[in-house]
Amino acid sequence: MKRRLSILLVLMLSLTLVLTGCSSSKKFDENASFDTLVSQAKGSTVTFYGWGGDDLRNNWLDNVVAPALKEKYNITLNRVPMDIDQILSKLSGEKQAGTTDGTIDLIWINGENFYSAKDKGYLYGPFTQKLPNYAKYIDQTAAENLRDFGYTIDGYEAPYGKAQMVMINDSAATPETPKNTAELLAYCKANKGKVTYPALPDFTGSAFVRSIICDIVGYEQFADMPADKATVKNAIQPAIDYLTELNPYLWREGKTFPATIAQVDNMFADNELVMTMSYEPYSAATKIANGTYKATATSFLFDKGMVGNTNYIAIAQNSPNKAGALVVVNEMISAEIQASQFSKLRSLPVVDYNKLSDDEKKLFDSVDLGQGSIPQDILLSKRVPEMPAKLIPIIEEIWLEEVVGK
Amino acid sequence: MIKKPFLLLLPVIVLSLLFVIGILNGLIQSFGIMPSLGLTVPTLKYYSEIFSRPDLLSAIGMSLYITLLSSIGAVVLGVFICALLVMSGKAKGRTLQLIKIPIAIPHTVVALFVILIFAQSGLLARVFYHLDIIASQDAFPALLYARNGLGIILAYIWKEVPFVVFFVVSIMANINTSLGEAAQNLGASRWRTFIDITLPLCMPSIKNAFLIIFAFSLGAYELPFLLGSTVPRALPVQAYIEYTHPDLLHRPYAMALNGILFIISFIIAFLYYRLLQHNVVKVNKS
Repeated sequence: MKRRLSILLVLMLSLTLVLTGCSSSKKFDENASFDTLVSQAKGSTVTFYGWGGDDLRNNWLDNVVAPALKEKYNITLNRVPMDIDQILSKLSGEKQAGTTDGTIDLIWINGENFYSAKDKGYLYGPFTQKLPNYAKYIDQTAAENLRDFGYTIDGYEAPYGKAQMVMINDSAATPETPKNTAELLAYCKANKGKVTYPALPDFTGSAFVRSIICDIVGYEQFADMPADKATVKNAIQPAIDYLTELNPYLWREGKTFPATIAQVDNMFADNELVMTMSYEPYSAATKIANGTYKATATSFLFDKGMVGNTNYIAIAQNSPNKAGALVVVNEMISAEIQASQFSKLRSLPVVDYNKLSDDEKKLFDSVDLGQGSIPQDILLSKRVPEMPAKLIPIIEEIWLEEVVGK
Repeated sequence: MIKKPFLLLLPVIVLSLLFVIGILNGLIQSFGIMPSLGLTVPTLKYYSEIFSRPDLLSAIGMSLYITLLSSIGAVVLGVFICALLVMSGKAKGRTLQLIKIPIAIPHTVVALFVILIFAQSGLLARVFYHLDIIASQDAFPALLYARNGLGIILAYIWKEVPFVVFFVVSIMANINTSLGEAAQNLGASRWRTFIDITLPLCMPSIKNAFLIIFAFSLGAYELPFLLGSTVPRALPVQAYIEYTHPDLLHRPYAMALNGILFIISFIIAFLYYRLLQHNVVKVNKS
């Protein structure tokens, strides 16, 4: 018995080594027509790596997108929840090991991470011009489809969803909503100790600080600013002064900040704070719907707008199934999937409304946005482009040195 | 034919090899060798930069402070509970099972408990406010997210006291029944017996428990991240933030911070080993 067990163990070990050592590789022709790609992708599996912390999105991918792909193309979508830094590590490890047939096909990515990944040669492309739906639905001249956090996309990623910073308050507790940074300061003074934001480098906290910077010194100058600490500091100094001025009226007098947006949300739901924020423009609606927030929670924006970004899907340079990956990306930017994403997840669509047929327009028009949210056209009219990715870590560093506890 | 014991050990050997390779890989990266990023020249730059950056230095200090205070607190409280259990004859059975519960509870859940109870919007603050002990909930002392790290220390103590008890109580009970009873028969009081006989003989296992929880809480990330202040951060939190930095060229900083953690843990492991050796010598001599 013992001997058998040990033999079994050895067998299992060697089996895993063999299995991980090789993988199927299909011939992929760069210049094949899309129909050829579709027939090549038939019956294959596409792995989709991305952040898995949003249950709503996970369910949507598993129960709406995956079945649609199966039915239409007989493609199996294998969703792998993983944080982007680990995905990058994995890609870097595979590259270091010289793996030509990797494990990752699609990556949910944007901003600084896209910059890193493209810069290091981890991504396949350009590929967007191969996709029929890209030409059909996407506004190819829009700034957001040309640059991702200030970095040129060059066809290395396709848009997936749009996000935008909004602030949220409980209209029952504080009916007034600040329209700019000056009013925000007055608001914090009136609600001393009941406003804060997540500590940078939390994604939302960082975006909040960038929105403050844009309100105070504008965003134009950052587009081609060199990533040099002294230059950046000089440019954002008025905003840094403002944030320091804000500190005494913040929660814990700005000596410390909550580590995550989740904590800020909890404190808001607990009435410890009068305001929270989100990079998901319809988060108030979804959180009212699931009972986290009171029905009186409302979203608001600064008059000059707040930062917004698009998130994208990229294909790994060593993806073992590029044909399948292209077909899936094409499907993700179809009107049906985008409308479903808008209605189920309240994620702003990336398709250009003017390019839609009348029937397709109805899909989007019929979506009920829910309570406490701002209509899409107002959001899009008050949208400030994100700063170049390489400036963001510098701003975060300056914030840590100049603002916390000052 | 490979001998059977070796064959059976194979899974363990493979697993520990993976572990060692992981550590070595991290250490190699901490010296700035990451060929996939074009870093090939070994350098001590990352370590020397850490020791010249005040925020990273204060992270090391913060970690040592939290760890030291919480470990000492846990050991003192743990030994005290052991003493109570042993002297009341409850060192076995249901009471002990009850004490073991915190061991099974994950750190993130402990963090949640601590937030629910000790935050300014937490249970205690509300109770005190309703009993008119404090004027407003904000008047409750800031235990969480504060520079003094009290929230983290409290959480670690809660989590580690049972470990100390678990580790020490059976040995203490045995000593107390054998040598302790002898001392009491010769006329010593219970506390006198405990302090002069039982405690010194338990010392090796108490020290072991201390070293183990010290090493553990030094390297743990969840509690300082969830309950800590923005600055200074604890070492593992700082390492994690450097690791998730979108610029992959920051990886070596994360690895160098891990390297420092590794060195401290290595010293502790060495002390632990010496302590064990010492005990073996003692046992052999006696």
